[in-house]
Amino acid sequence: MKNIFKKLVFGLAITSIIVSCHDDLNQSPIDPDSFTEEDVFATPEQAKGALAKLYSSLALTGQQGPAGQPDIAGIDEGFSQFSRMLFNLNEITTDHAVVGWGDPGLPDLHGMYWSSSNDFTEAMYYRLAQEVSFCNSFITNATNLNDTSVESYIAEARFLRAYAYYNLIDLYGSVPLITTVSTDLPQQSSRSEIFNFIETELLEIENSLPGSGGNEFGRVDQVAAWALLSRLYLNADVWIGQSKYSEAATYSGNVISSSYSINSNDANGNGTAYDELFLADNDTNGAQNEFIFALNFDGLQSQTYGGTTFLIHAAIGGSMNATDFGVNGGWGGLRTTKNLVNQFAVDIDAQNMALGSISDWGLVGDATTNGWDGPDMEMYQTAPDQYAIYAELNSGEIKFRFNEDWGNNYGDDGADGSIEAGGANIAVSSAGTYYITLDIGSLTYTIAPYTSDKRGMFYSDGQNLEIESIPSFENGYAVTKFKNVDSNGNQGVDSGGDFTDTDLPLIRLAEIYLNYAEAVVRGGNGDLSLAVSKINELRQRAFGSTSGDITSSDLDLEFILNERSKELYWEGLRRTDLIRFNKFTSGSYLWPFKGDVEIGASVSDFRNVFPIPNNVISVNPNLTQNEGY
Amino acid sequence: MLLVPSLALAQSTISGTVSESENGFPLPGVNVIISGSSSGTTTDFYGKYQLTANNGDVLVFSYVGYTSQEVIFAGQAVLDVQLSEDASALDEIVLIGYGGVKKEDLTGAVDLITAKDFNQGPIVSAQQLISGKIAGVSVTSGSGAPGDGQTIRIRGNGSLGLSSNPLIVLDGIPLNDGGVGGSRNPLNLINPNDIESMVVLKDASATAIYGSRGANGVIIITSKKGKEGGFKFNINASTTIHTAIDQVDVLSTEEFVGVINSTGDTAYTDLLGASDTNWQDEIYKDATGKDFSFSALGSAFGVPMRASLGYTDHDGILRTDNFQRTTGSLNFSPSFLKEQLKVEVNLRGSVAKNTFADRGAIGSAVSFDPTQSPYDAGSQYGGYFAWIDAGTGNQSNLAQTNPLALLNLRNDTSQVDRFIANIKVDYNLPFVEGLKATFNLGHDSSMSDGVTLVSDLIPTSDSTFNGSKNTYNQEATNQLLDVYLTYITSFNDAHNLTAVAGHSYQAFEFDNTSYDSEAEEDGNDFEFIDRSKNVLLSYFTRLNYDYQGKYLLTATLRADASSKLNPDDRWGYFPSLAAAWNLHKEGFMSDSFFDELKLRAGYGEVGNVNGLGDYRFLTQYVGSQSTANYQFGSSFYQTYRPEPINTELRWEIGRTTNIGLDYAILDGKLSGSVNAYMKETKNLIASSSVDPFTNFGNRIDANIGDMENKGIELSFDYTPIQNENFKWSINYNISFNDNKVTRLPFDQAVGGISGGVGNNIQTHNEGQTPYSFLVYQQVYDASGAAIEGVYVDRNGDDIINDDDRYIKESPFADVIMGFNTNLKYKNWDLSVISRANFGNYAYNNVASNAVFSQAIGNSGGFLRNIHSDYLYTGFMDYTETSLLSDHYVQEASFFKIDNITLGYTLKDAYKDTDIRFYGSAQNVLTVTNYEGLDPEIYGGIDNNFYPRPRSFVFGVNIDF
Repeated sequence: MKNIFKKLVFGLAITSIIVSCHDDLNQSPIDPDSFTEEDVFATPEQAKGALAKLYSSLALTGQQGPAGQPDIAGIDEGFSQFSRMLFNLNEITTDHAVVGWGDPGLPDLHGMYWSSSNDFTEAMYYRLAQEVSFCNSFITNATNLNDTSVESYIAEARFLRAYAYYNLIDLYGSVPLITTVSTDLPQQSSRSEIFNFIETELLEIENSLPGSGGNEFGRVDQVAAWALLSRLYLNADVWIGQSKYSEAATYSGNVISSSYSINSNDANGNGTAYDELFLADNDTNGAQNEFIFALNFDGLQSQTYGGTTFLIHAAIGGSMNATDFGVNGGWGGLRTTKNLVNQFAVDIDAQNMALGSISDWGLVGDATTNGWDGPDMEMYQTAPDQYAIYAELNSGEIKFRFNEDWGNNYGDDGADGSIEAGGANIAVSSAGTYYITLDIGSLTYTIAPYTSDKRGMFYSDGQNLEIESIPSFENGYAVTKFKNVDSNGNQGVDSGGDFTDTDLPLIRLAEIYLNYAEAVVRGGNGDLSLAVSKINELRQRAFGSTSGDITSSDLDLEFILNERSKELYWEGLRRTDLIRFNKFTSGSYLWPFKGDVEIGASVSDFRNVFPIPNNVISVNPNLTQNEGY
Repeated sequence: MLLVPSLALAQSTISGTVSESENGFPLPGVNVIISGSSSGTTTDFYGKYQLTANNGDVLVFSYVGYTSQEVIFAGQAVLDVQLSEDASALDEIVLIGYGGVKKEDLTGAVDLITAKDFNQGPIVSAQQLISGKIAGVSVTSGSGAPGDGQTIRIRGNGSLGLSSNPLIVLDGIPLNDGGVGGSRNPLNLINPNDIESMVVLKDASATAIYGSRGANGVIIITSKKGKEGGFKFNINASTTIHTAIDQVDVLSTEEFVGVINSTGDTAYTDLLGASDTNWQDEIYKDATGKDFSFSALGSAFGVPMRASLGYTDHDGILRTDNFQRTTGSLNFSPSFLKEQLKVEVNLRGSVAKNTFADRGAIGSAVSFDPTQSPYDAGSQYGGYFAWIDAGTGNQSNLAQTNPLALLNLRNDTSQVDRFIANIKVDYNLPFVEGLKATFNLGHDSSMSDGVTLVSDLIPTSDSTFNGSKNTYNQEATNQLLDVYLTYITSFNDAHNLTAVAGHSYQAFEFDNTSYDSEAEEDGNDFEFIDRSKNVLLSYFTRLNYDYQGKYLLTATLRADASSKLNPDDRWGYFPSLAAAWNLHKEGFMSDSFFDELKLRAGYGEVGNVNGLGDYRFLTQYVGSQSTANYQFGSSFYQTYRPEPINTELRWEIGRTTNIGLDYAILDGKLSGSVNAYMKETKNLIASSSVDPFTNFGNRIDANIGDMENKGIELSFDYTPIQNENFKWSINYNISFNDNKVTRLPFDQAVGGISGGVGNNIQTHNEGQTPYSFLVYQQVYDASGAAIEGVYVDRNGDDIINDDDRYIKESPFADVIMGFNTNLKYKNWDLSVISRANFGNYAYNNVASNAVFSQAIGNSGGFLRNIHSDYLYTGFMDYTETSLLSDHYVQEASFFKIDNITLGYTLKDAYKDTDIRFYGSAQNVLTVTNYEGLDPEIYGGIDNNFYPRPRSFVFGVNIDF
């Protein structure tokens, strides 16, 4: 009996231990940063964090910032940021930019020899498809909340999904069209199906989104839907073979009539209100009124190695001073080709005539056309003792000379901006157009690279306009468009100078002006004089005066493409524009190292779209690779 | 059968001493019994015994590990017996998980290494004890840092995405596989001197009893235990000198100046300094180490016990690197209820203190401009030379930091406390003869605390840097409960049966917190928490059957459930079956020259989810840190991201078939085994691409492919000479392994390298060895020099892009050999351990970064030294293609003499006290054609490797 009792206790003890253990197999996350769907969609206010992810997945790269817990696996996290990849795919592939780094797949882009396993075309596909999945999931869950306060959230998610598809149709052509989360392998949809989807979605949410200016900072309103429609229609001919220029004009017109306005506030007083768009305080200096859809960055709270942090650091190299750009150093990568620089070339003679009357003071030296023997390049008198000249110089040296006579010459000892009789030669480090002033009263001078169109922001000191080989930084002018200093010259909030505050517009009003003009010139129903006046609005900001104004006879397609280049360079639109003008792959327009040839060469037309990534095709046999890859 | 004369019944008392034949030590605890009767005794501490016997009785002297002796009593009053160690040790009990079997009854591919066969020398980590000793087992140290981790592979890589580490079972507790934060090596908790034996289970028929945890083999470590009898003590003390033996072959100062001057550009030549600094000399030094251990074993108050203390303190050859460890262990094994209830308690603790040198200094020293002096009195950075950006006035953001500043201005320390305890109770259940219940409760916890302080003087491009402090605190716990029943029976004197059935529960939990002072200054989140838990639940059973010890059969079944998998796919069932035939016991073999000949065949399945993250099948959202929030209005919002999910994850399953043969000939002087195996891993779990429209990420962990390892292992143990004065033994083992991915729907790039961003040099491809190098084929000119930027257009499309890469070899050796020999002559002993690997390749990442643009710092206002391979290639720029050139994938086969140890034992130096003096040299010789620093780099990517030092040890070992 005693034994039986013992056995029973023994058996029971073991059984109870085992049974309690079984329940322990059902573990759920215990990490404080981990949440369930019920947590995230508990209330509309809580769901706003999920909405914020839909925006931030275009601006940032993961949940840790600047690196860690990445959204996309298998690629360097900084490379996976949306606008950085947009730059790689839409700017580096064109005349607007070259990059010196030898990272896998990166030199392929400017050389236009990318393969179907290119890291960047692949990562961009992942990023955009992931955005679609995030939006789909959000729309389902937010709809289940059944709360009117989330209606705008849902409309915004649909806008962002449409924006993702806008990029997918542009970059990859035909991709799966997915509107709910499902693990079933999707089928490919045609470009027209996707086009129709984007169009229908944007038209449907037009009125669910807040009215113009009606949403809080950082979130889109109905103007964004119109703006995206304007882009969509403008490219309809390329994408679906149907001209929709009247629709493009209509929706561009809607945007033009909205509360958004071109920034006209020259907050830093440098003579133009254009550069304010790309400064660290572009969320407050007036630029924000022009931004229809922008990515918000913050040096402390929204950190990434993409975005403007990339655009600013990567563009600094050579003798550039990083502190001028509000960062702690350059990454020595990005430059541009002479094609972009030459867009800003000026009519020097006319400019010089406007300065004043020709004088006997002139420039002499091997940097001038006639070398040290003269005759000199005569300067123009702008005031008593004040002389100036716009001059095209070679790299070399100059001096100031009176009346072609060495008896009265001035140079600069110590390169300090003050001149001394018989002083040292003044170095001109690289060829280019310069604006040179001489004050013979105070014995001072200035020499600065000159463009009249102030949108051309380049750094030429120690840089060669011509590109002989892409890797080393001195080949090509550097671009100084983006900066992490505010209108007062102060660095952004990250005191370490790593991460930038500068927001990045994805859609801004100036582009819509140009869309409108192009739609009208291409035959859409619209008002040509409105188009001209809007273009002139942009040009007056660019020139700081009406000197660059055009008339309706100037407004042709060639002009518009060039104007888009000058207004929107490095903002992620160039490849799409060149394709619309049939200049991306064809031999009708060349730039250095197009087609991996120094003088430029055409490439096959199949490169107008990027390949569907190999890795995606290998997991989804329903997909067909784009022709040519 | 001995015939006993029935008339001789004269009874008398006999006494004597039993000692070891080899060194004459008395043997306590030897069983002395009269055959066929119940009378007998055991020897006392001095090896003495006394009993009463009749003339003609057969006295049997037996002791575990020694050959038993039978002596017919012929009335002598004193009978001294010498027992010799059992050469074939056929009676040794080998632990095979939840019990043990006699060695001759093994059916699987199992190797046993006991303390006497362990590697000698400055052994800091337990893994080093068996390096080169066992066919098919490779042990590779991660670096030359003291106490650093070792990678063990049993029969090659078993998985792509999951852990390929073998399971380590310490005194019945399967240990955590995951690394312990701040620890160099998870096995650092064990003082190697405490280890009695290590058993390696290689094939699945043997490991299946551990189910999902035994996928990559099992190493069962048994610590030394207390014994009956008086106390014995051991003291071991040694001192070590480590010296660096080789340096990365960079440009000499003269060569470097020549390269820079050849530019003729003052932008670069003006940057040259006037010094001649060998930066590698600056960061390495001769280092010293000391080890001390003490142990006592015996029995007190009738309870056998053992206690040990160990202390290790080694500097690394990289300046400021140091590893200190104190270990303590206590073991009690009392018995109650007339030996029916046996209890074993093991308590083990260790405190490891690490001072980590910043290993960034290695790369920095390789590439620092040799014309600069380390010090610059005018430097704003604590007197250390730095490259200053003229614009910002701070260190250039792309220049490397002075290696001495990295070493001296950073203080990175950690303390790892680990505690392992278990109590094991064996109870012979009184109600059924032969039935034993075992209950094993274990606890393994480690707590680490680390602090990294960086001085505000460190050169940096961050103008506002004012020093930083990062701390972390990690806690990992592992709870174990095993309950099992063992039933042993035999019938008809011929059928022997052992059955085991039981249940096991393990829970693993970790809890990490860290703190970042810079984030706090920035007003961001500065405390981070990371936590996770998983549970493994199992039922297992095993049946061992043999018929007259000739025909052996082992069958096991284990059912495992892991909380990492979804409830529907959670349970995995892992069976195995093995059979063996002891041919030498057959009558027809009685005249053969085989002393032992056993044929074995086995098949088993094991699962694997080791290394898989937790909760992968649940919908989870991850909240953003405050540095990744997003601005709406004037507020920054924490964002929530849905995580990639896989609800269909299943067990990765390994299936191994093993055929083996064990043999002993020439009176056991030559013995060994041969194994041939085929291991297929099905449903490999790896990070795999998904159609991104179907999930929340582009990669999920999924069951995507199959892999196989097949090979042959041979081992030979030969003792050509063994007599009283001279013993010479040789061990040689060789293994061939062929590892292939047999199914993989898409290629996977792996093997990140330095240079550029996101370059991968390796790939997993179907039909190829995993981690094969994927490279461009370099074109060479007529003189054999590599032509920059010119590669073979292998697919003939006139474009050189990644479609032109091809597979060139892999980092894993096709053939691994070990050769060891021991010589003992009188009081002298000598051992030599050597190894060789053939067919392994390495990517020389230091050389691949040697291009001209690196030397001039990409025009960034600073200079960098480069590898002297540049003198050969003359490459100007590195690009994706130059980094991935097959020029840098080089054969790294090698032969190494790991260790030579010479010892002298002073017997009875003082009253039963033996003293052994020994000297040892470690990492004695490497023969290789590989041009990098060391051909033996796990994973095959050679970049800024912490060099393995050559070490000289002098030590003394005292037994009393």
